[in-house]
Amino acid sequence: MINLHGLILADRSSSQLSGLVKPRTSASLPFAGRYRLIDFALSAMQNALVRDVGVIMQHDYQSLLDHLGSGKEWDMSRKRGGLRLLPPFGLKEERRGQYASIIDALTSVQGYIRDIQQDYICLCRGSLAANIDLAEVMRRHVSSGADVTVVCSDRNPESSHYRFVTDEHGFATELLKHHGGKGEGYASLEVYIMSKKTLLGIIERCERFIDSKFHRTGLGGILASGGRIAVYMHHGYAAHINSVSSYYSASMDMLQAQNRHELFPDERPVRTKGRADVSTHYAEGASVKNCLVADGCYIEGSIENCIIFRGVQIHKDAVLKNCIIMQDSIIDNGANLSYVIADKDVEIGVLEYLSGSPRFPLVLPKGTVI
Amino acid sequence: MKRNCIAMLLAGGQGSRLYALTKDVAKPSVPFGGKYRIIDFPLSNCANSGIDVVGVLTQYRPLQLNSYIGSGQAYDLDSSDGGVFILPPYQSAGEKGSWFSGTANAIYQNMGFIENYDPENVLILSGDHIYKMDYSDMLREHVKHDAACTISVIQVSMEEASRFGILATGEDGYINEFAEKPKEPKSDLASMGIYIFNWKKLREYLIADEADPNSSKDFGKNIIPAMLNAGEKMWPYRFSGYWRDVGTITSLWDANMDMLSPTLINLYDPDWPIRSKSPIRPPHYAGEDSSIVHSIVTEGCEIEGSVANSVLSSSVKVGRGARVLYSILMPGCTVEDDAVVEYAIIGENSVVRRGAHVGAQPDGSDSWSVATCGPNIEVGAGAVVKPGAMLYDSVSAGEGGER
Repeated sequence: MINLHGLILADRSSSQLSGLVKPRTSASLPFAGRYRLIDFALSAMQNALVRDVGVIMQHDYQSLLDHLGSGKEWDMSRKRGGLRLLPPFGLKEERRGQYASIIDALTSVQGYIRDIQQDYICLCRGSLAANIDLAEVMRRHVSSGADVTVVCSDRNPESSHYRFVTDEHGFATELLKHHGGKGEGYASLEVYIMSKKTLLGIIERCERFIDSKFHRTGLGGILASGGRIAVYMHHGYAAHINSVSSYYSASMDMLQAQNRHELFPDERPVRTKGRADVSTHYAEGASVKNCLVADGCYIEGSIENCIIFRGVQIHKDAVLKNCIIMQDSIIDNGANLSYVIADKDVEIGVLEYLSGSPRFPLVLPKGTVI
Repeated sequence: MKRNCIAMLLAGGQGSRLYALTKDVAKPSVPFGGKYRIIDFPLSNCANSGIDVVGVLTQYRPLQLNSYIGSGQAYDLDSSDGGVFILPPYQSAGEKGSWFSGTANAIYQNMGFIENYDPENVLILSGDHIYKMDYSDMLREHVKHDAACTISVIQVSMEEASRFGILATGEDGYINEFAEKPKEPKSDLASMGIYIFNWKKLREYLIADEADPNSSKDFGKNIIPAMLNAGEKMWPYRFSGYWRDVGTITSLWDANMDMLSPTLINLYDPDWPIRSKSPIRPPHYAGEDSSIVHSIVTEGCEIEGSVANSVLSSSVKVGRGARVLYSILMPGCTVEDDAVVEYAIIGENSVVRRGAHVGAQPDGSDSWSVATCGPNIEVGAGAVVKPGAMLYDSVSAGEGGER
């Protein structure tokens, strides 16, 4: 066991994910053929032997609840503790059902945080695709004596994010909000380890100010008052999924062996809800080039540069290029698709022709029949 | 706790005719059809048939089987007052304890387990067949015909009949003759080794058989003939679906190849799922220059070469320029760049090094057969493994292999 409690933020989805988060929150967005984004946070915790984890959720969480179940896939179905789902509860009337920020979400589960048995808490987002060695982050956090340890990446997201500028010892000197691309310091993956006391302190501090923010008021306040924030560099693959284009490009990143092996290393497996599918069947005339294909598919047509989820059927003479086809979708004879993201249970009829572009892939919402 | 019917699954056999493939594991835990192990079929059939207590009798090399079955969670068989129970041979006070000396003896030694559930009927299964069967339908016929024993039977060709236990029925439809592997079979109804017994009756016959020093303590050889001689009502349950014995290298290879034809046995049927405990691995990756046709491929595989008419279990690697044809690659094995594997079975976690060649196409000769590499071995770079070979150990680089 480890003296660490997990807290996963699955409350908000970026509006730029548009159709992809209509039936779900971004934490339960299907990714890499068989996973949901929250699997990365849960598995990182599981691999660090964290067993008590709270998931803060707010709306559109039906698919998330279905995916998490009792948490047994991540060894979090325990007699005491284990996985705890934290839907909105006990908010003041005017804030009910809408967390405006991280701090809003944390404030609403303050009672839960106070009752946490462990001395340390790992706070992270459910929509981060990264395989972080949390046991190592925790070890470094404790030995550094820092108030907070933040996990940063040397990759630079295209969207706006926080960056930490560090001194020669790896401690943060400055916290910046950045609009995307390269910049001073390192991009925060918004994975934080701190003591329970520090986290409660941040919440209290934020409550004293109007329009307070977790990063600016909370972490900024720690820096301003002489506290220490240590930066832990995660060198493996990392992607925040917060728009259709970041979803598409992160998905296509998985076609490269290096990225795939960084996100799914043998020593820290990523677990997800099992479905007991059959192996994938390739028929006589099938053709496959540079694709990631999950179990339970039936492939008769041609696929190139595609991510194919579980239970997808691709019939004769269908040609798919640069597509993402989610669970149980059916592509009929002779259909021709490129740069298409088909959500779950989509059906494309005989000889249909559909095309998006690399920067604007065409998103077909869940259950679309064409 | 009382049950109408519980199942006892005989999984203790070595499967000696699978040679190297069962040197470390019992036959029921041999990988099959990409996602499965052989025992997944009877256990899934139990779960789908509503049988929620299954005793699994183990004896030979049970470690992998035990950890694979676990609590039966993969089959949804884990419940508060039922589930899957591993039953190894054990010792009682004042006894020396003994191994199971035959199939009937294995059940005899576990009468205590059965009586915990006070069942009306007991279903006896074996762990070496590939099939989908609704045991509850068989149980309905068993009860309807007030049988002491119901034997599931399948029609076989007269040429094959002498390899099976063959039954004959009277005008009333009940079984009136049973012959184990007869030289001149009188009918084409073969026993599938699946029995439902009235437990009270079976108990009597087990106790009597145990007392007979000349008995080989076997269902087919002793219990069934004894019941027939005593005039018990024995009913044949006719089964007509897909059913294959996978007890030999050739039959294991054949049945795996059958999995490439979903018309023979439909594993996609949501109403009769065959479940397995599979490791959670990322989807399989097929590379820029790969080619995969008429094959099944499982998660965790990384394919850069060409694969045709083959069955690939999870986490198999096929390197650039490598060719895999008409072969079965078990979990975790690797075929390195430019190696060729044809008409072969490669055991779990074995490695075929760069440029090696395992197996060959049928040449019409009688001596030709499928080449087999056991688990956890290495076929060195450039080595040649001839058709029909049975490798227990690694082969050095460049070696001509062994026959």
